[in-house]
Amino acid sequence: MSRGAWTPRAIVERSLGLAALVIALLGPAIFSSYFTTTILTSTFIFGIAAASLIFLSAYGGMISLSQTALMGIAGYVVGNLVTKGGAGGETKGLILGWDPTLALVFAIVITTAIGLILGLVASRSFGIYFLMLTLTFGVIANYFFGQVTKLGGFSPIASINLYMPGWIGDIVGHPDKLYYIALGVSLFVYVLIRYLVRTPFGISLQGQRDEPVRLASLGYTVPLHRALAFGFGAFVASLAGVLFVWWEGQISPQNLGLGATIDLLIIAVIGGLGRIEGAWLGAFAFIVINNYVRDIQFPFASEKGVLPWIGGSFNTVIGVVFLLIVLLSPGGLVGIWDRVWDAARRRGGPPHAQSEGAEPAAVASS
Amino acid sequence: MPRAAAAGLVVFATLFVLVIANPPSESGAGSWRTTNSGSAFDDPGAFMANLLDTVTLAGWLFIVASGFSLIFGLMRVVNMAHGVFYLLGGYIAYEVQQRLTAETPGFVPGELVNTWEWLIPMAVAMLCIGALGLVIEQGFLRWNQGQDLRQALITIAIAVIIADQVTAHFPRSGAFQTGGGNLATITWPGWMERRIDLHVAGVEYSLTRLAILALGVTVGVSLWLWLHRTRTGMVIRAGVDDRQMTSVLGINIGRTFAIAFFVGSALAAMGGTVGASQGGVASGQDGLWLLYSLVVVIVGGMGSLVGAAVGSLLVAFVLTFSASYLPSTGDPAGIECCTQYSITFTFVLIALVLAFRPQGLFGKAA
Amino acid sequence: MKVGRWKLLLPLALLTVGATVTASGALATPAQSGAVRVAIMTDCKGGFGFAYELDIGGAQAAFAQYAGGKVKNKNKPSAGMTGISAGGADVNIVGYGCGDDTAATAVKETRRLMEQLKADVMVGPLSGDEAVAVANYAKAHTKQTFIIGTAGSQDPTMQIAPKNMFRYHGDGAQWNAGIGEIAYKKLGWRNAAIIMDDYSFGWTSAAGMIADFCAVGGKITKRVFPPLNNADYASFVRQLPAPDKVDGYFWAIGGNTPGSLTAFEQAYGKADPKQFIGNLFFAFLGNDKVVAPKFVGAYLGGFGTGPGLKTKQAKRYEAALLSHYPKLPTADGFVYNYYNAAWALVQGLEKSGGAVGAALQKAMPRTLASGYEVSDDGKVKLDSRRQAIQDQYQLQLVKNKDGSVGPVVIAYVPNVDQSFGGLFKPSSPPPGRSQPACKKQKTPWQGKLKAVKNGVITKTTIK
Repeated sequence: MSRGAWTPRAIVERSLGLAALVIALLGPAIFSSYFTTTILTSTFIFGIAAASLIFLSAYGGMISLSQTALMGIAGYVVGNLVTKGGAGGETKGLILGWDPTLALVFAIVITTAIGLILGLVASRSFGIYFLMLTLTFGVIANYFFGQVTKLGGFSPIASINLYMPGWIGDIVGHPDKLYYIALGVSLFVYVLIRYLVRTPFGISLQGQRDEPVRLASLGYTVPLHRALAFGFGAFVASLAGVLFVWWEGQISPQNLGLGATIDLLIIAVIGGLGRIEGAWLGAFAFIVINNYVRDIQFPFASEKGVLPWIGGSFNTVIGVVFLLIVLLSPGGLVGIWDRVWDAARRRGGPPHAQSEGAEPAAVASS
Repeated sequence: MPRAAAAGLVVFATLFVLVIANPPSESGAGSWRTTNSGSAFDDPGAFMANLLDTVTLAGWLFIVASGFSLIFGLMRVVNMAHGVFYLLGGYIAYEVQQRLTAETPGFVPGELVNTWEWLIPMAVAMLCIGALGLVIEQGFLRWNQGQDLRQALITIAIAVIIADQVTAHFPRSGAFQTGGGNLATITWPGWMERRIDLHVAGVEYSLTRLAILALGVTVGVSLWLWLHRTRTGMVIRAGVDDRQMTSVLGINIGRTFAIAFFVGSALAAMGGTVGASQGGVASGQDGLWLLYSLVVVIVGGMGSLVGAAVGSLLVAFVLTFSASYLPSTGDPAGIECCTQYSITFTFVLIALVLAFRPQGLFGKAA
Repeated sequence: MKVGRWKLLLPLALLTVGATVTASGALATPAQSGAVRVAIMTDCKGGFGFAYELDIGGAQAAFAQYAGGKVKNKNKPSAGMTGISAGGADVNIVGYGCGDDTAATAVKETRRLMEQLKADVMVGPLSGDEAVAVANYAKAHTKQTFIIGTAGSQDPTMQIAPKNMFRYHGDGAQWNAGIGEIAYKKLGWRNAAIIMDDYSFGWTSAAGMIADFCAVGGKITKRVFPPLNNADYASFVRQLPAPDKVDGYFWAIGGNTPGSLTAFEQAYGKADPKQFIGNLFFAFLGNDKVVAPKFVGAYLGGFGTGPGLKTKQAKRYEAALLSHYPKLPTADGFVYNYYNAAWALVQGLEKSGGAVGAALQKAMPRTLASGYEVSDDGKVKLDSRRQAIQDQYQLQLVKNKDGSVGPVVIAYVPNVDQSFGGLFKPSSPPPGRSQPACKKQKTPWQGKLKAVKNGVITKTTIK
């Protein structure tokens, strides 16, 4: 692996990261307000959610499709607790009118707890089976919030960003506040994950990713490790969820749905499932495509049958891009970077362990 | 401890349904024991009807889930496109039936449909979707053997693309191009549109639903015979047990994979035809049927035919009985509680099963 | 290693394209001054995706008729139009929203239209939950104006009611006003069961049926709520009382009307049309070919329009619409409501002299001579929360000469207001599972329904 912290590659990567950070800090001054409030802020938010997914996949060997649902659960808890009813108020959800700071803490705690429970249920499943299970959890959460109408139902719980904690203040009138908060939380999550994987817990987590049987024979409880990691992933996802409802102001079951789940997976894969940096890269790429390619509409099947077999809209575009990336560059954007670096240095031999393949270290059993 | 709790829950639920529940009273006052039609003793007719609903729904679920289980069990491919195969199969069957019964575009009254005009659309749909599955398997999945996650991502991308294309192109004939949402319905053969007296608890039951059950049983028996009495089936069973060993023995496992994928996809199309007849297929249902397939396989265990059957029964049971036997307390109008929590019970079912056997009821140990 | 090079070049190419696109979009684009920027928000996917051309066509036809616009393609409204001018200002349609009937997409599209494309006015959205989302957005963005397209939810103009949101048509409950009275008086129902989709439009549509039926003295004995994503309606249909135990069924299912009715027939045998009253989903949105043929003779709630009405005002509207887009269905609620919304916008701009923002909101008309309106000299009035008080037309399914089955107007219900005579209030929760309760009371139109024959409103009251 690396020969110390200051290899040329590490220097380049760190400089790039620093440059990106500086640009981000100056964001509101350089870019249009639409770009900062919509594109960049959501990049940070979805990057945090994708980071939770990539953390679990890169360091835990668990591809979890529940992260979107956990994000949504946190958002729903905030929405239900914080909004107030009465004339001119909100009409959906529990409308309890709690103190926003308390609601925020509650949301993070509840989501982490649910993550732990789900992690315990899924902890003895591995590989593709685990993926299926987490996908099922996600879809169930989606249907749950749609059908339990007391918690909101299919209508959105709205105006959540009108009930902000006092120490943040008004973000509808000052959207740059949320921009910097999201940037700050992103940095916090990034540093936290980098720190966590160096702790004994993190190292044993990577151990169970590579050799679960061996680790179990050393006396570690592998299912518990996985459940705890899943709980941490839920914690990170809950941060993203709270930021999301502050940003969007509303939440509805669609935000937890199958489409949203796949979108987050696409973000993680585009960015690169092997490295945490891929989370924000992938989020940026996806949101940019989502936004600016939106107006491309292939001709629908018309009466004259012009191009009858190519129809569809944005979803087809993103599906094709996703397919190309999975087929050609499974390491995502970060994988491309790795390959560029390797090509530039003309390195032979085995590629970097983290840059190849969409599946980090396939787990032994089925 | 969790196992004891789970067992206790199951026992209580059984007693509740059989004995404890009460029918709603005239005055409107109710308790936690009030359900829609009371217990099995209060209203055996309703209980029988619910039981039959369960079993017939299970037949429908089995048709779809068995294909999914076959592909997953043999090739470890989570075919996320299974739901869109269901959807597309339903649309193709609709188009074929429209052309066969050219009388009125859109709606065809039952009296005009004979058995062939239902079977032929089904057969065509099965062939088309089977072929589509084969193309996908040969074109995208074959050279990715062993990379479970990558294959899952590929099928996800394909599912996104196909779902979008289906929205753009179907339905093509008949009424809906100017008028409706893209719901397409097929008509059952006319002779099936009646109810027959079962001579048990005075229940008259729909012949159509019994036919669905018969179809499901036929599929199950045929699959069993295929898997246990033919060479290909033997290879499939061997491949499910140990893929590498099977290919090492010189058997052309690749050809078997192709056949299995064809059959699995065709079964999805059959399920889609049934679905279109029962109420129609529309965009959005692909996600629902993917969820059902996932839950059946998680509960029943992957790669096991018996597991798919038992899983279908359990899932159908949860879906049907939770609508009728959850408490609807407080008023005869049954307004505020509890049938909207039925989706939660799907999760409870999964958690219960995984508490006892993480690989599903009939799955192979990890 | 050609493959290897491909693997590198293709993603790099994608990246370069992406970077260029981003760069061009990232830097600020100044808005064109002087012109009024209008966005039309509709659905292009999901359950109401087919209404894309209908909505755009209705709105643009009004722009063509009253603001001098020229349509580009008479058969394809989404091709756009040019030359719209009102109140001395040019009007540009900056974009068409592409929703999918869900709130999440509606918010995304609204942000794109109002923030990226910098629209001043939105005509839309299309559906109930989308309107709730947009209403909440409107509350926070008071400088922009929102004129609802065809949404049927009650909240946007009752509970939320932002000052910059207008609706010139009735909500889902208003569409069903009077149908409960018809059930009681013409069909002789005294008790009924009701089944509805378990979400806001189902509840709102059902609320209209319940309110009227109970107001006259009927009793709702059972309410059933199948969830929207539901494959098998069998267990929910079993919760309904058997046909011999109840006078009739109110059917407010739109999510999968054919599926629910098939399940009913499989459980109870062939359905008797005299025991069924549906809502607009029985006859519109494609179900006229699938559901309607089985229910000839059944009554159903309307869509706020009067198909086949023979008044001068209706004929004028229909002629105007068809002169710009000859293929649009005139009595389709999507077309009609978007037409009226755009027409109201033109009138507002005329009065405000092309100004937008608060000036436009003050200038928006409080009455509108909508095509199918008859009361008050044919004028729809807005109430204090900018919600229309609109005549409603109740329908019956009849078999036409060519064998097809379609709805025909059989009753006229004058001046239906959103509160149903005080039953719905801003401080009360919106329609839900238990809202409204079954109460005997007097609706403003009780006893005032007039029979309609062959498109002519007769003097006969429905007794």
